[in-house]
Amino acid sequence: MKMNTKVVQFLVPVLSILFSFFIGAILIASIGGNPIEAFQFLFKGAFGTKANIGETIVKATPLIFTGLAATFAYKCGVFNLGAEGQFVMGAVVTIWLSSIQLGLPRIPMLMLSIVAGAVAGGLWGAIPGVLKITRGLNEMIVSIMLNYIAILFMGFLYSGPLREDNLPQTAQVIVKLPRIIAKTRVHVGIVIALVVAFLIYYFMFHTAYGFKLRSVGLNRRAAQVNGFPVKTLMLLSFIVSGAIAGLGGSVELLGTQYRLMAGFGEGFGFDGVAIALIGQLNPIGTLLVAYLFAILRTGATTMQVGTGLPTSVIDIIQALVIVFAVAGSALVNLPKIRQVLANWSAEPKKGQGN
Amino acid sequence: MNTFLTMENITKKFGDVYANRAVDLSVMAGEVHTLLGENGAGKSTLMNILSGLYHPTKGHIYLRGHKVKIHSPAQAVKLGIGMVHQHYMLVEAMTVFENIILGTTKHKSFFIQKDKIKNELLALSAKYGLDIEIDKPINEISVGAQQRVEIMKALYRGAELLILDEPTAALTDIEVESLFRIIRRLTSEQKTVIFISHKMREVLEISDRITILRAGQTIATLIKSETTAAELAHLMIGRELITSEYEKKTVNRELILQLDQASFNATSKHNGLNAVSLTVGAGEVLGIAGVDGNGQSQLAQLVTGLIAPDDGDVHLNNRKVARFTPAHFIASKVSHIPEDRNKMGLIGNMTVKENLLLKSLNSSRFSYGKGWLLRRRQIAMHAREIRQTYDIRCASVEQEIRNLSGGNQQKTILARELERDIDLLVAVHPTRGLDIGATKYVHDKVIEARDRGCGVLLISADFDEVLKLSDRIAVMFEGEIVGVFPGINPPIHEISLAMAGKKQQTQDLAV
Repeated sequence: MKMNTKVVQFLVPVLSILFSFFIGAILIASIGGNPIEAFQFLFKGAFGTKANIGETIVKATPLIFTGLAATFAYKCGVFNLGAEGQFVMGAVVTIWLSSIQLGLPRIPMLMLSIVAGAVAGGLWGAIPGVLKITRGLNEMIVSIMLNYIAILFMGFLYSGPLREDNLPQTAQVIVKLPRIIAKTRVHVGIVIALVVAFLIYYFMFHTAYGFKLRSVGLNRRAAQVNGFPVKTLMLLSFIVSGAIAGLGGSVELLGTQYRLMAGFGEGFGFDGVAIALIGQLNPIGTLLVAYLFAILRTGATTMQVGTGLPTSVIDIIQALVIVFAVAGSALVNLPKIRQVLANWSAEPKKGQGN
Repeated sequence: MNTFLTMENITKKFGDVYANRAVDLSVMAGEVHTLLGENGAGKSTLMNILSGLYHPTKGHIYLRGHKVKIHSPAQAVKLGIGMVHQHYMLVEAMTVFENIILGTTKHKSFFIQKDKIKNELLALSAKYGLDIEIDKPINEISVGAQQRVEIMKALYRGAELLILDEPTAALTDIEVESLFRIIRRLTSEQKTVIFISHKMREVLEISDRITILRAGQTIATLIKSETTAAELAHLMIGRELITSEYEKKTVNRELILQLDQASFNATSKHNGLNAVSLTVGAGEVLGIAGVDGNGQSQLAQLVTGLIAPDDGDVHLNNRKVARFTPAHFIASKVSHIPEDRNKMGLIGNMTVKENLLLKSLNSSRFSYGKGWLLRRRQIAMHAREIRQTYDIRCASVEQEIRNLSGGNQQKTILARELERDIDLLVAVHPTRGLDIGATKYVHDKVIEARDRGCGVLLISADFDEVLKLSDRIAVMFEGEIVGVFPGINPPIHEISLAMAGKKQQTQDLAV
């Protein structure tokens, strides 16, 4: 049974991706392109050279963080749509630390910056959590609103107090995350992302606290009846979710962007939600889907250059993956389909029923 | 008077269970006809058949002498049958007016003829004394007014027969009076009313005739003026003394649970507790009998820490409880078989194994470092052992619990709650929806726990179950304990009267 649940969980995203590429191919053909050629360019762009492979990893890194942030919140049954704001706040605190000239050596400065980014994201994430559990406010609306506040606050900083000369951007950070693969932009952030994913996986599935968190997500009332501190766990999941996103913002700033300017972090929050859903709310699934999204992003440019097809074709494919994955998850949960799956999987039928 | 409705030989089977078995019902035009019966007696099934929600397995329905087949609720409406459900079917954010016209096509016009319809509604309202503010949203009017909106909805759709399903359940006394005035107005205009209730006083006040259902069958139809509360209660409960297969205990031992004048939401008769005092001793089953919705849910929630009393005290093992949280009660060795196993007891998407673990996550047996690393092998081994000893039928302990049958789900809960060191077991409707085999199993386990010295508070709407298992029986009515009776040779007649709301001298048994 469990095996088959896992098989289904795995099949839904894989089939969604295949379907999306298939429909994408029809779309490309219908606007006069050659789908096979287009996909060749797409994958060449993502994997063609060492630099390309590296670029895909660089693009995947922030998506992994926001995807994990969304996963963590969803697991506890709360919806954090504010990963973008938390991501930005993490970066904001990091650039602020960089601007005040602490005079710390490189490694402690990097560690402090990253931890401060996580704390800032956690605090930003705590706001919708506190409002939800004390005042009953809808966390989705609050967290989305907080995105705007964070983005506008960042805008104030890079065009105001932290502006570099007369450009609407901040100065570069004074310390940068080390690059780990020669001749690529891949930095140590990907390692941090993988470690965080592993830690979340461990926490969720191997500790009592993760177990309780998942219980709250699956049946809040039963969790309460069985003595779990439901509100505390919900608040905790907001804070941790926000911290993961904030960490992501800090890492993105220190490893890739180096400075804040308009568009920093844009769309990462909602992409994270989509990645989490397609990844079946599993940290490992989230990793893989974030990587896929990165492939589409790096490949899209190459495809446009090579074939003249607009990159929006790839946006459409990405959107289709989301649609298929969400529809697929809903489909396998329909009573009739579930029945079929249960019959198909419960091979040793002995002892069923009562 | 003419016969308005005849239901003849109505039988409804759900799987192998008969909800109605050859039920006959005959209702005169212009009368208030009460359906009286315990929970599960088949009243709702019968009325759902009449309003087109269910189709009878067998039997015929005649309206004004003509045989009819009611395929759907829409058709029931067309035939002049209107039902006011116990839980109102209103759109909260919409106004009264919008709710009433929702889905009607009386005026064949593309636009809503607001003024015309309003005048019609006002006329209806005046005729029957419904007194409704037509432009207010539903969530701004009282529960009584919402009910009048439901009645108005039915009348506007041309109902000649109104079915009121436990209409007084959510009302205050004054609202009940006004409802009864409306009912009298309706019948004086030759509308027919079927009134569903199990409250003796109200039944005797409003009915013309009373049909008693028990276990899916018609027991009798009586004329109000020719019967008494005692006779009705007796017919409704209808049991002779059953011999219990379990030995009853009377020894008084140390107190495990003690409620002292505990109140919660005391003004509500159906969702509150009004100065409840009771005790449960070690090695004793205290059964709470009573019709559902007289505060039993709140009692269960209070003694498991889900709600805190507004007033009064709860003592566990002679210590006053200061913190009302489930975690505190669990730590104080209280186990809970909750009333709704799917919503409260189990996490459907988790496996049998995980559901067994819910209450012992942090124990050193199942985790290292107080929960920081779960001992998977121990957990799986424990689950497999439990599966054996409790005979939980599942493909494997890795199966999601929602795919198990009700009986096996309940066994899982039992195992989780009993395989701990406990002093008190709170069992709420522990066998609801279970077949005979599973029911017997649950009963055996509860008695086993008692014999080990655990106190048991058994709350059940199944009167037989209470009689069978309880060493003492307390009856709840409208949030109060109205009587406590011995479990050996229980005075069934008096208990039935108490359940129907007749207060009496509490017998010489310490509460």
